[in-house]
Amino acid sequence: MIKSNTLRALLASTAVFAVSESALASDWGSFDGVTIEAKLIGGQQYEGLYGRIAEWEAATGAKVDIISKKSHFEIDKEIKSDMAAGTTSWCVGSNHSSFAPQYEGLYADLSGLVAAETIAEFVPGNIGASTVDGQLLMLPRAQFDVSVLYYLKSNYEDADKAAAFQAEYGYELAVPDTWDQVKDQAIFFSDPPNFYGTQYAGKDEAIVGRFYEMVVAEGGNYLDGDKKPIFNSDAGQRALQWFVDLYDAKAVPAGTTSYVWDDLGQGFASGTVALNLDWPGWAGFFNDPESSKAAGNVGVAVQPMGSVTRTGWSGHHGFSVTNDCANQEAAVSLVNFLTSEDSQLAESAGGSLPTRSAVWEANVAAAQAGDDPFRAESLAAFAKGAEFAFAVPAIPEWGETTNIVFPELQAAILGDKTVQEALDDAAEAVDELMRESGYY
Amino acid sequence: MTRRRLPEWFLLLLPAIIVIAAVVLIPLIFSLYSSFTPYKLTRPSTLWKWVGTYNYEKILTDAKFWAAFGRTVLFLTIALNLEMLLGLGIAVMVNKVTWGQRTLRTIVMFPMMFSPILVGFQFKFIFNDNIGLVNNALQSMGFNAALPWLVDGKLALFSIAFAEIWMSTSVFAILILAGLFAMPRDPLEAAKVDGCTPWQSFRHITLPFLMPFIFIAMTIRSLDVARAYDIVQIMTGGGPARRTELLWTLMSRTGYVDARMGLANAMGYVSIILSVVFTIYFFRKLTAARAQIGMGG
Repeated sequence: MIKSNTLRALLASTAVFAVSESALASDWGSFDGVTIEAKLIGGQQYEGLYGRIAEWEAATGAKVDIISKKSHFEIDKEIKSDMAAGTTSWCVGSNHSSFAPQYEGLYADLSGLVAAETIAEFVPGNIGASTVDGQLLMLPRAQFDVSVLYYLKSNYEDADKAAAFQAEYGYELAVPDTWDQVKDQAIFFSDPPNFYGTQYAGKDEAIVGRFYEMVVAEGGNYLDGDKKPIFNSDAGQRALQWFVDLYDAKAVPAGTTSYVWDDLGQGFASGTVALNLDWPGWAGFFNDPESSKAAGNVGVAVQPMGSVTRTGWSGHHGFSVTNDCANQEAAVSLVNFLTSEDSQLAESAGGSLPTRSAVWEANVAAAQAGDDPFRAESLAAFAKGAEFAFAVPAIPEWGETTNIVFPELQAAILGDKTVQEALDDAAEAVDELMRESGYY
Repeated sequence: MTRRRLPEWFLLLLPAIIVIAAVVLIPLIFSLYSSFTPYKLTRPSTLWKWVGTYNYEKILTDAKFWAAFGRTVLFLTIALNLEMLLGLGIAVMVNKVTWGQRTLRTIVMFPMMFSPILVGFQFKFIFNDNIGLVNNALQSMGFNAALPWLVDGKLALFSIAFAEIWMSTSVFAILILAGLFAMPRDPLEAAKVDGCTPWQSFRHITLPFLMPFIFIAMTIRSLDVARAYDIVQIMTGGGPARRTELLWTLMSRTGYVDARMGLANAMGYVSIILSVVFTIYFFRKLTAARAQIGMGG
């Protein structure tokens, strides 16, 4: 671990050195006396990149004034209040592919402000998910999210367990490749209240995202081409039944319906959960003995399949430039700098996933050549997982539909309604919302 | 030439009128107006689109809103009554203490000093089904199960009521204690001479005298609990499956997360009914209680 930390530190410092060289070499423009006001997402994993802003300031002569730094949910509320009050003259804002469609008219179309060859250097899927109604609303940073399967390796190294599983389920116990296998194994491994087979996000957008990707994996979809809800199809019912069955079998903690990402991460790190679909940001945390009882026992595999395809709900962070910004040229330069190849190399050295093709390749090559097999294993799983990634529907109402749908999903999971009743009720309410919003 | 001058009383009141208009009246009129529009925070232009009573019609036929309304009334009734009983008990006991009473009074007020958000986090941890104090204590006593305190409908309502009561019982205790301090000793001594039991003295002399104080505390707390938000939002967020959804968790999600401020404001105006009804009820009770102890109607 110490070795790998040293290696990382060396890599990071090399990256920083390379970056400072290139910051001077690259032409970020000259904006003497200009001050760019920015609203950025705050948090440990995002801060490293902001440390580099000083280099852009030195190269351009401009200043960056970070007027707000909060979690994305808080910054979302603040931006909505700004839009209501008309106080949108700040220039650069953190954005996210799931939130971007909500801010109608706030952000500039970057396709006309950023060079086409620069845009082509990003992963096309990420650029697609950053584009709403033909407008490129943000440039992606090295914070791409898709979930893969984390598991406790020890469960697959016990001959007695393997034999008992084979006898009960009729197939060999191995790291699951389908969600049906996850269900079987989760029920098999569970020993509540001391140990659980798996867990899932149980409220807010988190559970709807998980349900959405399950529906897609089962061959269905959330909305059709006219934005009409179709998640109450057979595929949707199969998807929700998976959540219900695990809850009924007590293979997930009873409180899972109130869990979101932190609870799930802490749960797996406590070593009391066998299988956990989770985001890339947790990889280092799960395998660090300081923070995780599962450290050294964590395996990472590509996310399992439904009956049709693999799950792959994804999203990514990015930076946008407001339409009301007084100095868009300088703001675009800052966004270009924060999402440049050097910035992405530096940011993804901390374990997050990049959104530039060249940085993906460099990271995979570095991991294969390095001496940290866990890093290589997880990066390979995420690289494979990213191939199946898809974003949420790019409509402003996505968030609002999740607030309608999640209580209904919970009602089915807790047994207040049948799967069909819950999905039909949710679809009816989403249908009303879509009508009110003028889609049909 | 004589100039018409504004009356002095009006000039003197003008600063207060301006301040009240700016911070109360204008926002009130604005929110009332916006409740007749489809106002979305992310689409400021919707503020100028008049939709009449559409939002109100939507709310009146919305089962989820009325379920939250009913749940708020239930929550209010349970929390208020238990707080009153516990507060009365604490006040009577503190009143009996002859040594260290001031320190005790300060200690009684401690829970009120915490921020509701902090109290919410504290009880969210205490009632967590997996790592919470309550379940761990139960398990260490040989009860081998994880009770879903914040998931089961009844347990979840109990948990948030417990947190609310823990924090605010002292409001009742302090107000009732003030009543006990202000109470004349003569009727109690006369009752003792007449041979009344302690229970009879409490039931027929102390309690009637305390009722005005209790109803004032009830009025203040009913307005507070009808707006319960922080603790519930932190502990359960109104869930799961809307099992603990109260008016204000529903309204804040509609207004700030879904950005539908017009609809949220309409919900706010409908829910004011609740506060008005409770306030009128308690003020009537207060008047009757004052009349009973000869303090005029």
